[in-house]
Amino acid sequence: MNMKKGDNPSGKVANTLVEFLEVAITMVVFLKGFYPSAAFERMRYMNVVVQRARHPELRDYIHFSASGLLPFIEKGLVERVAVIFFSNDNVPVERFIFKLTINPSSAASVEESQLEFRLRSFLVKLSASKSLVKPLPPNCRWEVTAYLRSLPEVGSSKEGELWIPTDTKQWMKPPVITPVKSLNSEPLCLQLYLEHPCLSETQPCQEAQ
Amino acid sequence: MKRSIGSNSNSGSSKKSKKNNNPSNQKTLGAAWGAASRPSSSFRSSPFSNFGSYMEVKNRKLQNQFENEAAGVSGSEKLIFQGVSIFVDGLTVPSHQELRSYMMRYGGRFENYFSRRSVTHIICSNLPDSKVKNLRAFSRGLPVVKPAWIVDSISANRLLGWVPYQLDQLNDTQPKLSAFFAPRRHSNPQVASPVSSSQPETGFSEAEEGSSVRAGESEEPRDHVADEMDGVYTEKTTPEMTAQTRIDNLQCSEVNAEILGNYDNEEKELNSELQSTTNLPSASDNKSSHGKSVATAAESSLRRHSTLEDPNFVENYFKNSRLHFIGTWRNRYRKRFHGSFNGLKWTDSGQNTDENAKKLTIIHIDLDSFFVSVVVRNRLELQDKPVAVCHSDNPKGTAEISSANYPARAYGVKAGMFVRHAKDLCPQLVIVPYNFEAYEEVADQFYDILHRHCRKVQAVSCDEAFLDVSDMRDVEPELLASTIRKEILDTTRCSASAGIGGTMLMARLATRVAKPAGQFHISAEKVEEFLDQLAVGTLPGVGSVLKEKLEKQNIQTCRQLRLISKDALQKDFGVKTGEMLWSYSRGLDLRSVTAVQESKSIGAEVNWGVRFRDQQDVQHFLQCLCKEVSLRLQGCEMMGRTFTLKIKKRKKDAGEPVKYMGCGDCDNFSRSITVPAATDDIEVLQRISKKLFGSFCLDVKEVRGVGLQVSKLEGADPSNKGSKTLTSWLNSAPASVQTEKDDNVFAAEVREIPEGKRRDTGGVSRLRECNSAEPSVQSGDTNSSLPPMCHLDMEVLENLPPELLSELDGTYGGKLYELIEKKRGKRKINSSSPHVSLDGIKGSSSASIKIHGSSTSGEKKHDKPHPSIARAPSERAIKMTDLMPLSLSQVDVSVLQELPEELRADVLGAFPTHRRQQSSSNAPMETCKKQDKEPTDINDAENDIGFSSSSLWFGNPPLWVENFQISGNCTLEKFSKIYYKVAQPRPMLSTVLQRAMSEVWSSGDASANDLEKTVHDVCEFLKEYIKIKVEGDIEEIYLCFRLLKRLAARSQLFHQVYEIVSPFIQALISEHYGGSLSMP
Repeated sequence: MNMKKGDNPSGKVANTLVEFLEVAITMVVFLKGFYPSAAFERMRYMNVVVQRARHPELRDYIHFSASGLLPFIEKGLVERVAVIFFSNDNVPVERFIFKLTINPSSAASVEESQLEFRLRSFLVKLSASKSLVKPLPPNCRWEVTAYLRSLPEVGSSKEGELWIPTDTKQWMKPPVITPVKSLNSEPLCLQLYLEHPCLSETQPCQEAQ
Repeated sequence: MKRSIGSNSNSGSSKKSKKNNNPSNQKTLGAAWGAASRPSSSFRSSPFSNFGSYMEVKNRKLQNQFENEAAGVSGSEKLIFQGVSIFVDGLTVPSHQELRSYMMRYGGRFENYFSRRSVTHIICSNLPDSKVKNLRAFSRGLPVVKPAWIVDSISANRLLGWVPYQLDQLNDTQPKLSAFFAPRRHSNPQVASPVSSSQPETGFSEAEEGSSVRAGESEEPRDHVADEMDGVYTEKTTPEMTAQTRIDNLQCSEVNAEILGNYDNEEKELNSELQSTTNLPSASDNKSSHGKSVATAAESSLRRHSTLEDPNFVENYFKNSRLHFIGTWRNRYRKRFHGSFNGLKWTDSGQNTDENAKKLTIIHIDLDSFFVSVVVRNRLELQDKPVAVCHSDNPKGTAEISSANYPARAYGVKAGMFVRHAKDLCPQLVIVPYNFEAYEEVADQFYDILHRHCRKVQAVSCDEAFLDVSDMRDVEPELLASTIRKEILDTTRCSASAGIGGTMLMARLATRVAKPAGQFHISAEKVEEFLDQLAVGTLPGVGSVLKEKLEKQNIQTCRQLRLISKDALQKDFGVKTGEMLWSYSRGLDLRSVTAVQESKSIGAEVNWGVRFRDQQDVQHFLQCLCKEVSLRLQGCEMMGRTFTLKIKKRKKDAGEPVKYMGCGDCDNFSRSITVPAATDDIEVLQRISKKLFGSFCLDVKEVRGVGLQVSKLEGADPSNKGSKTLTSWLNSAPASVQTEKDDNVFAAEVREIPEGKRRDTGGVSRLRECNSAEPSVQSGDTNSSLPPMCHLDMEVLENLPPELLSELDGTYGGKLYELIEKKRGKRKINSSSPHVSLDGIKGSSSASIKIHGSSTSGEKKHDKPHPSIARAPSERAIKMTDLMPLSLSQVDVSVLQELPEELRADVLGAFPTHRRQQSSSNAPMETCKKQDKEPTDINDAENDIGFSSSSLWFGNPPLWVENFQISGNCTLEKFSKIYYKVAQPRPMLSTVLQRAMSEVWSSGDASANDLEKTVHDVCEFLKEYIKIKVEGDIEEIYLCFRLLKRLAARSQLFHQVYEIVSPFIQALISEHYGGSLSMP
C-alpha cells in the first residue's frame, strides 16, 4: 500500500481512491465472513483498524482489481465498482456497490488529509455494518466488477486488457438498496450501498443481450 | 545527425563548438549537434558556466567582428539591407562567404547561428525533403528565400520583395482561402487600399513611395492577413509592431500587394514574412505617435474578422461544399415533390413479401457523371475531353476531385483523388468548378420527368433514383426506361443510364453495366448468371474492409459467396452484414421503393479550413455554425431537442495535413445535450453549442473540425410556435449575442452568481445564462475598445439608466438610439415574457417583485461597456462572492429584520453601492410586514417569476426555516425551532427529524384544511431536500426515510406526509440507482 505519485491532482485523488478501494474490498470480503477470519490480519490504514488478506493470491487479486481500475478512474470512466457475491448457481445474492464520481476540476484544491478523513468514515461504518449483510449461502463465490460509463477504446492501455467483459447474471427486478455510507464533498462523491434481490425475485435470468 | 554537420560547416564560423547542445537561447537549424552532450566534461575547463553563456559570448564576439569588418567595407554603398538579417543554410551560389560580404557592404546582418530573434530571412538553394515537410520546425516561421534575392536586390540597388524568390520547393501555388472567397474580399473597402489593389510588380514601387501614414494604414489589412494564418501563428498585435522601420512598412505593403494581387502565394510564406516583420529588432525608434491607435484599430479589425480569415467563413464554406449541396438537396426535393405524394397514397409501400417480390420491376436511373456533365453541357469545347470537377484548379494543389467524366475515368481518374495525381494520370485533364445553380436546376428537371412517368419514386440523391414500375403492367419497363432517358437527355442535355431488375439491388447492378448512357435489364432468369461472375467488391454495402475479409476467405465472386451458409456468414461478419451478404449474393433485396424518409437529424459540419487562435474565434465560428444549422432546421421546418457537438481535434503527433487546410489526422469527440422543448432558435443553439464546446476543455488551436447536429426532430408546427418561443425564451438565454462586451466583467459576473441558482428569477437567470455562454477564459485586453454595435445586448441597453445610455450613445456617434428603436419593434414578441412584465410591474405595489426587478437592473449596470468603471465594482463583487448572495432578492428580508441594527447596516453595506441604494430605498421592512401576513403569497410570486422551489433549501439558514417560522402553524414552527436548536452547524434534515422524534406531536387541534396545507408544505420541503440529496447522499435520504417512517407511526400529520413522500423517494431512487430503498 505504498503511495504512488500522482502527477495531476485528479490522479492524486484517484490514487487515494484506489488505495481505499483495495482496503474497502478486503473489508467487505472480511465482513461477509467469506474466508475464515484467520485468513486476515489486522492492519492500520488511515488510522483505522482494517483487515488485510494474508493469502498472497487473495491479496493480489484484490490489489490488482483495485489498481487495475486506476487508469479508468483517472479518466472518469468508472461509475460503479461492485463486489458481488454469487450463490452456488452463479446468481448474485448480494452486491456491495461503490458508486463514485470524481470532479476533476476541483480536484486540485482538495487536501489529501481531508479526503482521507472522510474516507475513513467509510471504513469505520463498514466495520460496523455486519448487521446489514445476509448470511452467505454455501458454495458461493465472489468477484469484483466495475461498471464503466462508456467502454474504453480497445487496447487503449495495457492495464485495460486485464479486464474482461462480464456476463454476470442480472436480477429480473430492480434490487432493494440499503445505503451504507455516502460521501459527497468535492472533488469526490462516493457512495456505498448494498443491493439485494427483490423479495419477489424468483428466477433470475441472463441479461438480455 | 547528418544534417547537423552540413549546417555547421556552412555556418562560416571558425570556432565551432560541437561539444554540446544546450538550447537555452540558441536554436540551431537542423537540430542536434552534439547528441553526445556531456556538459560537465566540456565545460570543466572553460570559463563559462554553461553552454548558453558560452554561445552568448561567442555570438557577441562574432557580431562585433562583423560590425568591425562592415565598418571597413561599407560606406559608399546604399544600405539596402537595413534591418535584414540572414542565415545561410546549406550550399548556396554565391557561397555564404560572399553573401556575408554582401550583407556587410549593404547594411544587412549575417548570422552564423540561427536564432529566431535575430534572423529575419533564411537563405538557401535547396532543402532536404524532411525540412520541406516540416518547414515550420525548420524555419521557425521565417521566410526561406533563394540567394538570388540578395544578388538581384543588389543589382536593382533596392530591397526587392522576397516573395518571388522564395524557395521553389515551398512555393506551392495553392490558392489561399482568401482567394477562395475572393469576391467578397475584394469588395471589402477596408482592404482595398491603393497599395493592395495594384499588381505585385507595381505594388513594389507604389509601396516604396508610400508615406508613413499609408504604412500605418496598411497595418490593418496586414493584420487582417495575419488572421488568415493558421493557429500556430499566435502573436498578438502590439504597439511594438508599429515600431518598425520604413523598410518594414515597405515589406508589409509588399505583402499586401502580394496577397491581394497574387493569390497564389503560399500561406506559410506569408506567415513567415509577417512574423519577420513583426519581429524585427526595433532599430529605428520611429514609434509614431499614432502607433497606439493603429494598434487598437488593428485589434478591433482583428476582432471583427475573428474567425479564421473570413467572418463569413461558415457561410462561404457551405456555399462551396458539394457535400452540403447533396445534403440539403434532399430537403429541397421533399418540399418540391412532397405535395404530389399526398394525393397518391402508395398502396403496398413497406411490405414486400416473397410472392409479390417476383412481380416487382424496379428501374434504377442515374445521371452519368452528374457533377461534370451538368457543367460540360454548356461548354461544347469540353464535350469529349477528360473533365473533372473540383473546387480548385491548381496543378500543385491537393484539392480532391469530386467527380470525373467518362473520358477522364478512362485514364484512371477517380473521385476523391488529389488533382495532382489525376494530372499525372491524365495531363490534359480539365478541371472545372462547381456550378450549384445548374445542379439544382438539372436535378429538379430530372425529378420532374421521373415523377411524370412514375408514381413511386425513391430519390437516392440528386442524380439517382429508383422507380417502382411493377404496377404499370401495360408498359414495357425497357421502353419506359428508354423514354425517360431520352426525355432526360432532351431536357437537361445530360445523359442518364438505367438499370432494370426485380429488386433494387439488381436494378442498381444493372445500371452499373448500362453506364454510360445506356440501359440494361436483368430479368429474373438471368439474375443467377449475372451474379455468378460478379465480384463481391461491387455489391453495394461491401467496402474495402469487408472485401478484404472476404478475399481472405478466398471469396471473390458472388458464386463463391453463395456456397456459404447464412449462419456461417452471420458468424463471421455479424448478423446484419451476414444476412446482407447472403441475400445480396442471391440477388435478393427486401427493401422496397419508398418515398424520401424523414431525416433523423439535421446538422452542419465543417472539417476543412478550421483553425482557431483563441476563444473568440471559436465563439464567432460557433455562432456562424449555429446560424447555418438553424437555417437548415427552419428550411426543413423542423425543430430538435438533442444537440450534438462533434469536434475533431488534431492528433497529438499529427503534423500539418497533406490536404491543404484539411483536418488531417484527428481524434473525434462528441457530446450532446437534450433539452425539454424542441427548438430551432439560433440563440438557443448558440448557447447550447457554446456550453458543449466548453465542456470539451480543448485547446482551441488543436481544433480541426466542428460539427453541430440536431436530432430528436419534431415538426415545427406553426400553431404552437408562440408557446414555443415563450418556453424556449424562459429556459434559455436569448441574449447571448452579447459576445464582445467587456468580457472581464462578464467573467466576473459568472462567478458572482452562485451555482445552483440558475433558474431563480427570470431576470437574473437570464442574465446569468447569457453570461455563462461566455467562457471565462478571455484574452485580457479586450475591453480596450468599444465592441461593435451589433454585439451589444439590447436587453441591457434598454435597461440602462438614461444618463448612461446617452453617454454610450455619444461614444457610438448617436447611432445607438436608432438601433434600440429598431430592435424594440422586433422585440414585441417578448412583451408577454416575465422579464418585460417585471419592468412593467416595477412601479406597482408588489414589493417582493420590486426587489427582483430592481436588483436585476442593478446587475445590468455592470454591463456598461466603460471598462475602467465597470471593472472596479465587479472586482469587488468577486471578493464577496462567497459571502454574499447575488442580490437582495436572495436575502430573506425577515432575517434582515430580525438582525440587530448595526449588523443589518453591515450586511447592507456589504452590497455594492448601487445595490445598497436599491435595497434601502425599496424598504425591505415593508416586505417583511407583508410576508408576515401572507407567507405563501411570496412563494407564489416567486414561482411566478420562475423561482425554482429548490431554493427552499438555499442559504443558511435555509429559506424554509423562515417560511415555517412565520407560517403560524405550530407544527411548522416547531420544525424551524428544532432547526435552530440542532441543525445550525450541520444543516441536515436527518438531524432535525431525529430531534423531532423526541418532541411531542400534538395532532387534532388543527382544522382539516389547515392540516392539508401543512402536509403539503412539509412534503414540498422534504421533496426538495430529497432531490438535492439523491445524487450524492442516499445515506442521508435513507436515514430521513426511516426517521419519517417512525414519525409516521406517531402522528397523523407525518403519516400523511410519509404516504406522499415515500413513493416519491422510491421513484427518485429507482431513477438514479435502479432499485428501491429497502424498508426494515
